[in-house]
Amino acid sequence: MPDASFVFAQSLSGLTAAMFLFLIASGLSLIFGVLRVLNFAHGTFYMLGAYLAYQAMLWLGPGPGRFWLAALGAALGIALLGGVVERVLFRHLYGKEELYQLLFTYALGLILSDAAKIFWGTQQKSVSRPPELASSFSLFGATIPQYNLFIILLGPSIALAFWFVLQRTRAGRFIRAAALDRETLGALGVNVGALYTGVFMLASFLGGLGGALISPMRATTPGMDTEVIVEAFVVVVIGGLGSLWGTFLGAVVYGQVLSFGILFFPRFSIFAVFALMAAVLIIRPWGLLGRPIR
Amino acid sequence: MSVHGLAGILVFVAALLVPALGSRFYTFLANDVIIWALFATSLNLLVGYTGLVSFGHAAYFGVGAYVTGILMKKLAVPFFLAWPAAGVFGAACALVFGFFCVRLTRIYFAMLTLAFAQIVWAICFKWNELTGGEQGMPEIPYPDFGWLERLGASVPLLGGWRTAEYFYFLCAVLVGASLWALHRIVTSPFGRMLTTIRENAERAEFIGINVRRYELAAFVLAGAFAGLAGGLFGIFNRGVFPDFAYWTKSSEVLIMTLLGGMGTFYGPSVGALVLILLNQQIVSYTEYWPLVLGTVLVVLLFGFPGGIAGAVGALSGRLFRRVRSA
Amino acid sequence: MLHVFTVLLAMLFALPLVAEAQKPIKVGMPMPLSGPPALFGEPASKGAQMFVEEINAKGGVLGRKLELLVRDSKADANEAVRVARELILKENVDFLVGTLTSAEGPAVSVVAKENKIVFIAPIPKTDQLTAADKLHPYVFRVAATTTMEGRSAAEIVAKWPVTQVATISFDYAYGQDVTKAFVEHLKKIKPSVQIVDQQWPKLGEQDYNPFINAQMAKKPEAIFSSIWGGFFVTYSKQAKALGVFDAIKYNFIGVGEAATPETTKSMGADYPVGIWGNSYDAFYWGETPAHRDYTTRLSKYLKDEYPSSWAIQGYIGMQFLTEAIKKAGSTDSDKVSKALLGLTVETPIGPLTIREKDHQANRGQLYGKTVKDAKYPFAIMKPVTYVDPSKFMD
Repeated sequence: MPDASFVFAQSLSGLTAAMFLFLIASGLSLIFGVLRVLNFAHGTFYMLGAYLAYQAMLWLGPGPGRFWLAALGAALGIALLGGVVERVLFRHLYGKEELYQLLFTYALGLILSDAAKIFWGTQQKSVSRPPELASSFSLFGATIPQYNLFIILLGPSIALAFWFVLQRTRAGRFIRAAALDRETLGALGVNVGALYTGVFMLASFLGGLGGALISPMRATTPGMDTEVIVEAFVVVVIGGLGSLWGTFLGAVVYGQVLSFGILFFPRFSIFAVFALMAAVLIIRPWGLLGRPIR
Repeated sequence: MSVHGLAGILVFVAALLVPALGSRFYTFLANDVIIWALFATSLNLLVGYTGLVSFGHAAYFGVGAYVTGILMKKLAVPFFLAWPAAGVFGAACALVFGFFCVRLTRIYFAMLTLAFAQIVWAICFKWNELTGGEQGMPEIPYPDFGWLERLGASVPLLGGWRTAEYFYFLCAVLVGASLWALHRIVTSPFGRMLTTIRENAERAEFIGINVRRYELAAFVLAGAFAGLAGGLFGIFNRGVFPDFAYWTKSSEVLIMTLLGGMGTFYGPSVGALVLILLNQQIVSYTEYWPLVLGTVLVVLLFGFPGGIAGAVGALSGRLFRRVRSA
Repeated sequence: MLHVFTVLLAMLFALPLVAEAQKPIKVGMPMPLSGPPALFGEPASKGAQMFVEEINAKGGVLGRKLELLVRDSKADANEAVRVARELILKENVDFLVGTLTSAEGPAVSVVAKENKIVFIAPIPKTDQLTAADKLHPYVFRVAATTTMEGRSAAEIVAKWPVTQVATISFDYAYGQDVTKAFVEHLKKIKPSVQIVDQQWPKLGEQDYNPFINAQMAKKPEAIFSSIWGGFFVTYSKQAKALGVFDAIKYNFIGVGEAATPETTKSMGADYPVGIWGNSYDAFYWGETPAHRDYTTRLSKYLKDEYPSSWAIQGYIGMQFLTEAIKKAGSTDSDKVSKALLGLTVETPIGPLTIREKDHQANRGQLYGKTVKDAKYPFAIMKPVTYVDPSKFMD
């Protein structure tokens, strides 16, 4: 039987992976909740966030505080990209069938991921951990990298900030209203178009931030977009499409299943994750914390 | 015989003539096209005719490929048994998966089809002993063409072809037969019922149709034909690999169906032809094929929502002053 | 008048022959050029290209120029098969030299067999490529095998003061075979060794944390890893952050070329200096004049002060092909295939011979412990030894 410090370490690594996924999936969930569209290009925004962070690091050079600047800059850049995409292209598709919107996001993903290959080439890029958080410490017998702990704490912080915005601010009220009934909201005089653009930008910001923050831990390489988008789908399905805390819970569950799956049934950990997704859809399609949408 | 039927026969004969052009590469491309045409048409039974958008159709393609591959390579089962088995297993999986899927709608339906497809992929990817695991199963034997070669000694035009070309002829015949069968299905009362369900499932329910049963039937048929396509593809590809069931394969076939036009029977086949040929042409100039494909799709979306066949249909409708119904 | 006419007639007949002679010899090269495997694949293709340019400058082979067609196989067996078939059917290549992973190699070998095209594999290591049931007249390998690599590593690990050993490898042909060879040989030469843990991440894994944690829970004293290319960069960064190397006192051996200059260079300060690794080549080895000359030329060609260690495999693959064509006096597949059997070639790393038994060359590798050297801004192996694989080849 594995000892306690190991179980602790394993659950922490599951949480780290989960918090990254939460960052990305929350954007996906937000777009689906408000705009009613499954954004296939979200994985590509995540990948571009990582590439932009790498590029920013090249420009800024190593040094204290540089990484945080680069990550923030990358996330803002992706938010801008999202805004442009939404304004110029996407809004013309709102009246059309869902399938066409989906196809558009998929095509956008193709275009953007090849654009990344054109700018940055096909070799993988590597970014070092920021020097402020480069070392590790010991807790309960497990070695914990500082950066991992930062990510584990960042996740819930962002979730809480999100929740606060949604519940306690005017803009948040509008977002929740738009998710329920966009027509009435428009009739009440709210600029729904601007709201949609804002939501898309916020979601893109989160996706890009996820990519930027994950770059010191993983490789920035072609193909990372197709890998993450399916993981994000699993997370939002398990948690509930459009639900903030559902996405959070889904991410945590995903991370732990994968983590301990590798320990207990290593060959089937991948299978287990998708089996869980199917089980949720069969038993409770709107997810653990979602509400059945019509 | 209708115009459609005549056109179908002409295409079939033209397909058989491709190896006579003398280029092994053209035969290779044509073989690719016809198998994907079957795969895409099987998906269209779900998407175009029943209105069910599946993100996981590659699951049945993969199952078919692995079944035929394992039977022929590991158990030395002859092709005429191993290939129909692909359809049977494809249908069986579709029955199990479809049972759960048709109880959901729209995005949840799509997500569950995706989940099941990824489950199939995960099994093919990790069950090393059965499927070869991550590296797949290279070297699937060709069907035995000895009898055909012997026959060819006496019958004109039938002798002297390479194995790959014999296999192409076989594929053309089998795909042609499968497409004919699919056409019979969609033009039958059953097929018309599917269209009714696509138009308005609630109304269909009201007039006493068991919508779920019809949808499940469509699901199973689509899975069966996708399995048959997969069985052929595994042999054509000279190897079966786990990414036959991966979600990107599902998205490829969905793109083909939509590109060609899901409103007509031959739309997906046209989509397969155009996509594969376009890919070939573009790839010889640039490595950035996804960029080109993405741009083409966006242009199509904003300009021609009916796909190529839809555009052609609309154009010819205007030319002949008749409105073609989808 | 008649002899003018005769000469003209002769020229007319000679023309197609001359045209035939001018036709280049086409060699197809499927190689991963994108993603983490490109760290190894891209320089390998460059090494082949350098050789082609050198030999074309000298007049080519049998009076014909060599033409290399490189295609991105994305380190995927399915893609490699597709690309190989296109090269054969569309581009009508005469030979295939390429593939990198042990999934690509056996898959392309099937295509080569069916089309009777000589296929020289410069990198895939799995024994399965040349095993008795998979061997055919047209497949040859100038890379090391998993047997050679696993056993060489075992000999090194046996000398360490450890008995609890763990392994981590990708769950496909290469990872499985090299780990098996390592474990079997290690247990044979040091029976006191216990394998306390084995981890099998999928090829292409990006998050190794769960695997690393699971492994360290079993408290190994040494780790054998065959994680390669850009994947090793990701793995070792994560492992370092989790304190793996300190915990096992750097008793770590990374086969799959974890100590190549490419890897240490790309990781810079993140590299876990002190681990053991191997490499096909090292620009700092320079033990023979032939190697020093090659390294100078490579450095110039790549415009890199510290040139890649992977170019040599593409280079050697092309060397064997051209020597065989010269020996056979023809580009006919069967003649070239016969010429390759028992062929010895003077490569930059020394003489290599393809043995008749299994079409395998005696390609050993450089092994060494990585240290920080003041001369270079990255870690190198020191001392670095070329391990002769002959005693490991059955």
